[in-house]
Amino acid sequence: MSDTQKPGVPGAPAFGATGWKPGRDRILERIRAGLRAAPPSVAAVPPTESTIFEPVSNPRERFQQEAKANLMECLPATDAAASAQNLAQVLDSLPPGEIFVQDAPALRRLLEGVRTARAIRWSSQGAPSEASQATLTLARALIAQTGSVFVTASCGGRGASVVAPCHIVYATADQLVPDLEAALAGAAREGVLNEQSFACVISGSSRTADIEKILVQGAHGPRRLVVILEEHS
Amino acid sequence: MNAPAPTPAPNAPQATAAHPAVEGTPAQRFLRDAAAKSADLVHREIIRKNMESYDAAHLRGRSRFKDWEAARRRCQEIKREAVNHLDKYLLQFEANVLAHGGHVFWAEDSAQACAYVCSLAERHKVKTVVKSKSMVTEEIELASALEKLGIAVWETDLGEYIVQLRHEPPYHIVTPAMHLNRKQIGDLFREKLEPGLSDDPVELMAAARRKLRQAFFAAEMGISGANFIVADAGAIAISTNEGNGRLTTSVPRIHVAVTGIEKVIPRLQDLATLWPVLATSGTGQPITTYGTLIGGPRRPGEADGPEEFHVVLLDNGRSRLLANGEEREVLHCIRCGACLNACPVYRHVGGHTYGTIYPGPIGSVLTPHLRGPEFDHLSFASSLCGACTSVCPVRIDLHHHLLHNRRDSVQADHAEGGQRLMFRLWRAAMLRPWLYSWGGRLGRLGLRTLYGLGLAGTFLDPLREWNRRRAPVPLPRRSFRAQWKRENRK
Repeated sequence: MSDTQKPGVPGAPAFGATGWKPGRDRILERIRAGLRAAPPSVAAVPPTESTIFEPVSNPRERFQQEAKANLMECLPATDAAASAQNLAQVLDSLPPGEIFVQDAPALRRLLEGVRTARAIRWSSQGAPSEASQATLTLARALIAQTGSVFVTASCGGRGASVVAPCHIVYATADQLVPDLEAALAGAAREGVLNEQSFACVISGSSRTADIEKILVQGAHGPRRLVVILEEHS
Repeated sequence: MNAPAPTPAPNAPQATAAHPAVEGTPAQRFLRDAAAKSADLVHREIIRKNMESYDAAHLRGRSRFKDWEAARRRCQEIKREAVNHLDKYLLQFEANVLAHGGHVFWAEDSAQACAYVCSLAERHKVKTVVKSKSMVTEEIELASALEKLGIAVWETDLGEYIVQLRHEPPYHIVTPAMHLNRKQIGDLFREKLEPGLSDDPVELMAAARRKLRQAFFAAEMGISGANFIVADAGAIAISTNEGNGRLTTSVPRIHVAVTGIEKVIPRLQDLATLWPVLATSGTGQPITTYGTLIGGPRRPGEADGPEEFHVVLLDNGRSRLLANGEEREVLHCIRCGACLNACPVYRHVGGHTYGTIYPGPIGSVLTPHLRGPEFDHLSFASSLCGACTSVCPVRIDLHHHLLHNRRDSVQADHAEGGQRLMFRLWRAAMLRPWLYSWGGRLGRLGLRTLYGLGLAGTFLDPLREWNRRRAPVPLPRRSFRAQWKRENRK
């Protein structure tokens, strides 16, 4: 490789576009020449009327069904007090140790109704510690079609949904969206990835089937994913 | 980050798919390994069990779609649009990532891609790298490039970790350790990780988790691939079930995503079809557990995440395929592995026999274009049954591409001398019925004499590859034509 192609200092504003420009330009030239050289081999597929997925008629029921199939725990709650009770029960079932909580007013209020002796680390204090027993976060949306929780960096950061063995999500029924299309269209409309560095559609606990295709829950991430689904916001 | 430093990562594979330690040309190795593997009954049983389980899950998964064929057509159209406007969407992606504070590096080949990542690692004094599964990093042999600098590289996907401990390349693009049963993996883990483990997959996974957790929290750099690069969002999309991809892209200070230029898709909403289709075709799941989108480094106010985010866009021969209108759609591939699972040849000869990073039908189509004519033989290792084409979620006409490759190979005069002679004789006989008939007569006589002398399966036997491991082929007394005439006289 020639000296002119060696990278500049990472972090310099135009690092990607200037320091190694010859390679970039050559690739783009090859792409453009290639596209000019031959027309597409496959004809455009005309849009059809056919729907790919059955429309979701009852998002709440569908979410609960799919969440169960994804091996998640979905705990319905009629109000904030019932949610706090659900949370207390989940925390009681865990081994002793610190929990990590997204620093949000709704979660501070929820935790006021829960008696726990556990140390709490708030997301405003930084990333979750590896020894956390559970993380508690909000979600951006719940997706009925796939029984998924849609989180972003604002839900306590990236590690909040993967570092601890148990991830608890506190959500309300008005956060339900029918399908992935609606969830992603909403995120695109609101420019979520322009504002935040990370988003994730989570559909169950961490798992693997790499050994003889046998399902094992709790691979590198949480063994338990619990959604406390409150009726009213 | 107070976790104890991990023990040194497993050494670089001694024999990789790209640098096999064994002798011979790739074609000779393929023939030798295919014969050995198809006679390996333990291997056959493991693959049968795995594929049966996949087939059942795949069928169940497809039934969740109202119209699976419409989903395939939609995915085909998304990829068609992306690949036919590749420059436009790549530039859109790049502009968005740069605006998010990330870096984009365009690598023409493996050497440039590896040099970029290595120089980044050196500059940041990286000692430990964690990797999530990425076939592109296998393609450019990034792990061994980093290991040459004394950096410990940990594969963190369970299947990849298993094959790394065995110094093997991945067997399958989705399930890298598909060729091993729990007993073999148990023996490996007892030898390399903890002596007291049982063969229970839950216990084996837990042992790998314990070991790899140390690596995650010690690593300064995380390297991932990308299943898709989303132009309008300026984000990469990664599908993982284990959560290792999540930790790789969350915990270390630097995140590098290495991906092929053909992975670009125009819009975020395209994932609403691509994600479920990829999951169903890959494993039969309705959707993969984690569909992660990453658009840049940690932003101010975010609780965690890498300080630097780099995307390496790899060409490595892909732009050449664009110029070939007939073959361009091969770039639509989303690497789901469905064609491998459906292929009767793959199921018998196994993934390692191909001697390539991408095995199975897609590998046989792609490899001669990426690595040259010494891999032409792969396009001939197919029954052309079309099973691959029928399952491809982006409707790539795989078996016709195999035929195109065969044609191109013959026209470019890449066939070996012996093969050319055989086909010349065959052609001559097919054009002259009397010659065909005499040839058949001579062949039957010769084989009957040989088998009568008990020489079936020896080096004199032209059918030795078949007869060596099977009962000799029964030889009819009369040719088909003679039998036909006899029947019609009755």
